[in-house]
Amino acid sequence: MASPTQQLPPGWAAEWNAEHQRYLFIETVTGRSQWEPPVEGPNAPIDAVVGPSASGSPPPATHNPKRRQYAAGQTQAYYGAAEPESSYDAGYTAPQQPQQGGGLFTPGLAQDGFGQQQQGAQAPYYPPQDAAAGGYGAEPAAYGQPQAYPQAPAYGQPQAAPGMGALTDQFGQMGVGGQKPFQLHTANLLTSPPDPRELAIPPPEIRLPPGACLSQNATHANAEPGVLRCTLNAIPTTASLLGKSKIPLGLVITPYRSLKEGESIVPVVADTIIARCRRCRAYISPFVQFIDGGNRWRCCLCNMSNEVPQLFDWDQVRNQPGDRWARDELNHAAVEFVAPTEYMVRAPQPAVYVILIDVSHTAVQSGMVATATRTILENLDRIPNDDNRTKIAIVCFDVSLYFFSMPPGSTDATMLVVSDTDDVFLPKPTDLLVNLTEARASLENLLGRLGDMFAENHSLGSALGPALQAGFKLMNPIGGQILCLSSTLPTVGPGALKNREDAKILGTPKESGLLQAASPFYKTFAIECSRAQVSVDMFLFSSAYQDVATLAYLPHYTSGQTYFYPAFNAARSEDAVKFAHELGGVLAMPIMLEAVQRVRASKGLRMASFHGNFFVRSTDLLAMPAVPQDQSYAIEIQIEDTITAPFVMFQVAVLHTTCYGERRIRVINLALPTTSNLSEVYASADQVAIATLLANKAVERTITHSLENSREALFTKLVEIFSAYKASMTAAGAGASAQLSISENLKMLPVLILGLLKNVGIRQSAQIPPDLRAYAQALLTSLPSQQLIPYIYPNFYSLHNMAPEAGTIGENGIIMPIPLPPSSERLERHGLFMIEDGQTIFLWVGRDAVPQLVMDVFDLPSYEALRGGKTTLPVLDNPFNQRVNAIIQKTREMRRGVYYPQLYVVKEDGEMPLRLWALSLLIQDRADVLPSYQQFITQLKDKVNGAGNY
Amino acid sequence: MLGTGWLFLFAVLMAAGLLFTMVFFIIMFSDLECDYINPIDLCNKLNQFVFPENAAHAFLTLLFLLSGQWIAFLLNLPLVLFNANKIRNKNHMYDATEIFRTLSGHKTESFFKLGFYLLSFFYYLYRLIGGVRSMIVALISESE
Ligand SMILES: [Zn+2]
Repeated sequence: MASPTQQLPPGWAAEWNAEHQRYLFIETVTGRSQWEPPVEGPNAPIDAVVGPSASGSPPPATHNPKRRQYAAGQTQAYYGAAEPESSYDAGYTAPQQPQQGGGLFTPGLAQDGFGQQQQGAQAPYYPPQDAAAGGYGAEPAAYGQPQAYPQAPAYGQPQAAPGMGALTDQFGQMGVGGQKPFQLHTANLLTSPPDPRELAIPPPEIRLPPGACLSQNATHANAEPGVLRCTLNAIPTTASLLGKSKIPLGLVITPYRSLKEGESIVPVVADTIIARCRRCRAYISPFVQFIDGGNRWRCCLCNMSNEVPQLFDWDQVRNQPGDRWARDELNHAAVEFVAPTEYMVRAPQPAVYVILIDVSHTAVQSGMVATATRTILENLDRIPNDDNRTKIAIVCFDVSLYFFSMPPGSTDATMLVVSDTDDVFLPKPTDLLVNLTEARASLENLLGRLGDMFAENHSLGSALGPALQAGFKLMNPIGGQILCLSSTLPTVGPGALKNREDAKILGTPKESGLLQAASPFYKTFAIECSRAQVSVDMFLFSSAYQDVATLAYLPHYTSGQTYFYPAFNAARSEDAVKFAHELGGVLAMPIMLEAVQRVRASKGLRMASFHGNFFVRSTDLLAMPAVPQDQSYAIEIQIEDTITAPFVMFQVAVLHTTCYGERRIRVINLALPTTSNLSEVYASADQVAIATLLANKAVERTITHSLENSREALFTKLVEIFSAYKASMTAAGAGASAQLSISENLKMLPVLILGLLKNVGIRQSAQIPPDLRAYAQALLTSLPSQQLIPYIYPNFYSLHNMAPEAGTIGENGIIMPIPLPPSSERLERHGLFMIEDGQTIFLWVGRDAVPQLVMDVFDLPSYEALRGGKTTLPVLDNPFNQRVNAIIQKTREMRRGVYYPQLYVVKEDGEMPLRLWALSLLIQDRADVLPSYQQFITQLKDKVNGAGNY
Repeated sequence: MLGTGWLFLFAVLMAAGLLFTMVFFIIMFSDLECDYINPIDLCNKLNQFVFPENAAHAFLTLLFLLSGQWIAFLLNLPLVLFNANKIRNKNHMYDATEIFRTLSGHKTESFFKLGFYLLSFFYYLYRLIGGVRSMIVALISESE
């Protein structure tokens, strides 16, 4: 095969680079150089040249020469891209001889002039593309190894700048190693305050080496950040490099995300041809390599060569040769394989729901029972029951247990009472757990009159533990989901708890004891449940101490979720709406049953610790009896050995039974480039993923150590990252610096950590009831990043002066106002503001709000007539009201998950607790002992400078 | 001196028994790491041995105290206090939900105890031999 010079478009020259053993391509006019072979036309997407088969599906034995399936090494991949016609030959010809002569562009030699070169780029936005190409052409290789430059300017929203994308491409093409390098831009935090809009920017782009991915559409082949994201989008090759950066390495996984409108379902591979690696058991993915004429594939995790299954190229539906390149598992980041019987311990189970309802006096009085039964009744149709196999049972409890027998054919339910709570037994072997379709009439009948049956119940106390045991017994051979609705502290039988709330120990080191399980029952029972494939969801309603911390252990280890409605009162319609919305959402959720999750990674990487709701059944196997949608898990990763591969892959596999009885494996792939360059490690860091991982670790630390220790650890981590960055990436090195530097993509990390330090789950305070703390911690460890980020860094909007288009319908639905930094500096006395953290929405009304504003929004004559507290905004016939309503509506719907944020009106001079609560969400303010953002940043800077002094 | 001989003979046997218990613990932990056993079974199995092990060790230490073997007693005292403290804090049992997080700690502890029992085994053996020798010397001098 000829030298690549012959295929070059006019105006290009190729130079052999001895150090990197490949050609460097130089555009003679501009001096611009790049590793990828140039293609005609500026910035033509290189991948697009590798065309798919134009004709129909080829038979399995022959291969389309246009495909890169023979490409064994990267060289062919590069040249294959430039010369699609000859790529077939590329793999089988002798390596090209390097051309002699010509100046070699050795990366790294040109670094000295780099600092000055960068100074030139310090305009508010990047210079246009041409200027960049021409101006930097002389030292192209320098961009491959970007250096720190101390005086970097702060530019508002670099990613949003129009010229940025093009420029990134330019840089990318000049990259060393054939892959686009990450560009490090240093920002000084002292001069650039946090801008909430930056959190909406996607994480640093994943820049895989060319040829890493088999699929035409490389963006679909790698997981979306919302499903699977890594704290670093370029993995350091050694543990010492990772250690040097101080950034924690970990994955944030949301394997089972709900679908938003317009999103397509995860593609299903239904022919049960599942290609897996013989050695590491990884599934085939878009990042494997086909070798040996396409008869074998090389695992991208362990490099094992595996046989391609015989029927891999056979279309079983049409019974004819198929096109392997069209197979979903080679084209999509997430796929579901229909599992053959080898993956089953037993026949797929039906979905089973046991609903335990507290009917004690407190529960009935609060209206919980009535709301719950009404909600269940209304949602019977939404419960997943496609195959008509779904079973359901309802058990009520106070200090006794009440079972309901619904024999087939009858339309009535008979109540059976069991008062022996020490040794729970089922009063009847059958008809307690009934088929949802068959017993529909009796169920509706029962739910309709359940509220009345217990309306006069004066029994106090709760046999929650025995009720759970009864529910477990009901579903034991099958498994399924227990929904437990409880209004009081459990007092009777196993699992009884004492009120251990003690205001004196709040805010002291002993407080973390209140976050640990008070009774071993909820842990040991959780293990039993996990074994029997039973998952428990807790809905808690108490106005008094209920020991949420202890009760939450049960959902925690059985992959359920805790929902908490403190001081629930259905008389307030807002409370009823929220609970009904969330319970309905849980009932309607198409849960995955009997699931296990395993994360595999390339050689050299090890899953070190796991955070989230599941039971760790073996070193890397997470048992999840029922996987709810939109729950997130975090895994910390260790680099055990030096990584030599140009890219690594993480593969999440969830073996599960769908709620309509099909055994499936959901596989999610994430391939990331590796780097041995510290600046790339920083430039590829994903601040949102880091904050999510640190939130999980911080909560764990509050329980194993103490709240104080956890807060210190968070701050120390931040100091470490900044110190390491200053020492290695800025001119200040180890000395003191007047700046606080960090890369542009990590700019929001301090404010996210500050938000975490001020979150109810972690905050230093002697006022936070332990129940609220425990619930906040449950949220911190299970919310996916999309919900977690607002939960620690709330959104703050000014509504009275929002842009005219805000609240109206635009291209992407309702347009939201521009978020402000959450700081009370922005509050105005005549204004209307909205603060929301995904769980609660506050409408803050200034005391000088003009009557017209109050009239327009609340339909009230003046500010004085307005009342603070939970509210529902009236829908009025004026555009401003409609816009505000639209924004609230959008806030409730824009995130995934069942949570329904409640709306509170807060008056500037209204009742103290509510006002303080709302203001506590403005996390950039100073509150009590907690520092403001400015103070926090100053503390951080002092620590960072101090750390460098000794 | 007859009593001392018997005491250390007993101590040697006890130390050997405790030694084997620790070896068993360590094997079980590595089995867990290799997925040969699940954490629930592991904890159920090991928890049966935790209390007997602690009790046996405490009993031995008590015997040293009662028989006035001060050095042996003081050597064993820290471990007794360590175990007692764990029981007092209710974290002496292995918790299946936490086991993977705390595994390295458990392994270190077991290795430490293994080393301790090994050393004390040889110490007791030395004392036993010393005791037997003095017994023989006493017998010989008696017979002369
Ligand atoms: Zn493999």
